[in-house]
Amino acid sequence: MAEPTVRVSGTVLASLMFQHLNSDSDVEGLVLGEGRIEEQVTISDSQADHIHIEETYNVQKHIACHRLNTLYSSTGDLNMEAVQKMLVDNKRESVIGWYRQRRNTEQQMTLREKLIHENLKNVLSNPHMIFLLLTPSKVTPSGSTHRMEYSAFISRSRRFVNVPILITNLGLLEQLAYWKVSTSCSAAGYSLTMKKHGSRFFSSDGLLKEVKEVNSMNESLQVELQKSCRDVEESERLVEALQAEVSSLRRRLKEKQQKEATEEPEPVRSSDQRNVRLQESVSSLSCCPLFCSQTLNLQGFPLPDVSTATQVNADSPPANRNRKRPREEPMGGDRKRRRS
Amino acid sequence: MNNMSPEVALHRISPELRPLLCNVVRNGRVGLDSTNCLRVTDLKTGCTSLTPGPCCDRFKLHIPYAGETLKWDIIFNARYPELPPDFIFGEDAEFLPEPSELPHLVHWDAGNPECLLQLVKELIQQYHHYQCQRLRESSRLLFEYDSLLEDPNYGHNMEIYAGRKNSWTGEFSARFLLKLPVDFSNIPVYLLKDTALDPGEDVALLSVSFEDAEATQVFPKLYLSPSIEHALGGSSALHIPAFPSGGCLIDYVPQVCQLLTNKVQYVIQGYHKRREYIAAFLSHFGMGVVEYDAEGFTKLTLLLMWKDFCFLVHVDLPLYFPRDQPTLTFQSVYHFTNSGQLYSQVQKSYPYSPRWDGNEMAKRAKAYFKSFIPQFQEGAFANGKL
Repeated sequence: MAEPTVRVSGTVLASLMFQHLNSDSDVEGLVLGEGRIEEQVTISDSQADHIHIEETYNVQKHIACHRLNTLYSSTGDLNMEAVQKMLVDNKRESVIGWYRQRRNTEQQMTLREKLIHENLKNVLSNPHMIFLLLTPSKVTPSGSTHRMEYSAFISRSRRFVNVPILITNLGLLEQLAYWKVSTSCSAAGYSLTMKKHGSRFFSSDGLLKEVKEVNSMNESLQVELQKSCRDVEESERLVEALQAEVSSLRRRLKEKQQKEATEEPEPVRSSDQRNVRLQESVSSLSCCPLFCSQTLNLQGFPLPDVSTATQVNADSPPANRNRKRPREEPMGGDRKRRRS
Repeated sequence: MNNMSPEVALHRISPELRPLLCNVVRNGRVGLDSTNCLRVTDLKTGCTSLTPGPCCDRFKLHIPYAGETLKWDIIFNARYPELPPDFIFGEDAEFLPEPSELPHLVHWDAGNPECLLQLVKELIQQYHHYQCQRLRESSRLLFEYDSLLEDPNYGHNMEIYAGRKNSWTGEFSARFLLKLPVDFSNIPVYLLKDTALDPGEDVALLSVSFEDAEATQVFPKLYLSPSIEHALGGSSALHIPAFPSGGCLIDYVPQVCQLLTNKVQYVIQGYHKRREYIAAFLSHFGMGVVEYDAEGFTKLTLLLMWKDFCFLVHVDLPLYFPRDQPTLTFQSVYHFTNSGQLYSQVQKSYPYSPRWDGNEMAKRAKAYFKSFIPQFQEGAFANGKL
């Protein structure tokens, strides 16, 4: 549900009061400014999202009628010619309502004011018109104390709702949250300055340039982060696959071991066969005259041992074809020797 | 709220607006309850406090309506007195009459002293329509209204105040104020206590308050203009029946109307009977009549003599004569009581019949006097002192 508020600067209010003070009658006129409707979404863990609509009407200026009852007839019908004449240098769109000041009366809209308000809404095609009512009165009979009451009214389905007025002086003290938009200002000098220097700070859509840059950087960071996330994901998947494979192999090995344990023991020959091979290899080496030799010639080359050679021929199995032949060193080759 | 007399209000109002207000306070009788004129209070000004008076141009107008008093603010402008007034309708903030139904606003004429009063009457008419519309909140009460509207005796003389929630129960409540079509024209002229005041039109208003939308708590009350109330014997003389449970106004109102009509007829007949009685006594006693009430025919005094004994007879005729017997007060012209008053004896029971005509009553009274006087004389000599 929309909660409208009307904001009037201290200057404008003082100007209104000054106008009435210098008049010996009721006064009225048009109110210029800006109306804004914002939608605020409050996200909470405990309840569903709450959408809150705020209507704010900033009163920036007023145009006084020089004489009462010039804008309308006795039944509240508007005189458009007179309205246009009043708005000579101002845009029709900037009219957000009208005002009236009457002394010593109630803070309620009168019959004619309600009729005028409805007609003004229709004529200016603005359903969000506001009506400011200021009612100064004398509090004490001697006139030592006077009171100025002010309020705003807005029409909702032909019912008039009282809207609170907030006076904005230098700033709003109750503003605790961040400002969503800057305070509006209609001063010509301000507009000129903003026009001159604005392009250095603001982009074409009205946002601060730095904000745009930061947003771009943030987007790039997001892209890189996503890339890294993808890489991590892939490696994780690979690790997962390898782990699965290892687990599978271990499982198969275990099964195989279990299977072997339950079957008959294998003949020793197999291991003996393996041992025989080792034995053959060792025997081959040990039977090698050069291996067992303890004699070296003058060149340092071992001399074959005759006894070992004959023993080998007697009881060793046939020589392994894979046995390597000792490398024959060429005479006077790369072999390093120490000359004494 | 500061009550002020019409003269004070007229003195303080801006001179250009005075004729308009004068017409309202002097001739402003609106609605069914037009006993009193419209009242003006809280006279204030829209000018600065430095402006010399009289310059008041705004005030509250008190308007009787359906047993309530509407307090409407009327706002003029002393600097522009030719401009039409504006209105604030008090607590009825939702009342928004159609301007086309207010011809005296559309064609406001500041030079016509009656313009404001006429405009107020048009607004009250619109206000009545507005209140009738509010009855739609309760089908039961809407039925009551529609059924009364169909009867021409009541439909055109009805004020309704609806929509005000009962502050205790929160229920929708409404009040009907009806002007009863009773003919009071034949009631004898009423002698006002204060002749300076004009009692206004003789009227009987029946107020029926519905405290809930289902009509389970209904409180009727009858209001009579002062002359009628006096003629009928005061506020306690007439008791209307209670609203029957489950009943409806279209049955109840005619019942009350008939009761009141019967009472009025009885009073009228009583007046004629009293006049006839006095006329008969004048005829029979001739020079013996000392004085009599020539307007209400409620009193008669005779100076009689029996065997050189003079005495006075005061005859007091009650309001509901001949149903109620006249009171005879015999008074000696010679004897006093200890308190210094003339010795007297009151006789309330003597041969009497309400069916006798005046002549017969005079004859019988004369016969009674003759029979009672010896006894009175003895008493006077015995108990009084010369």
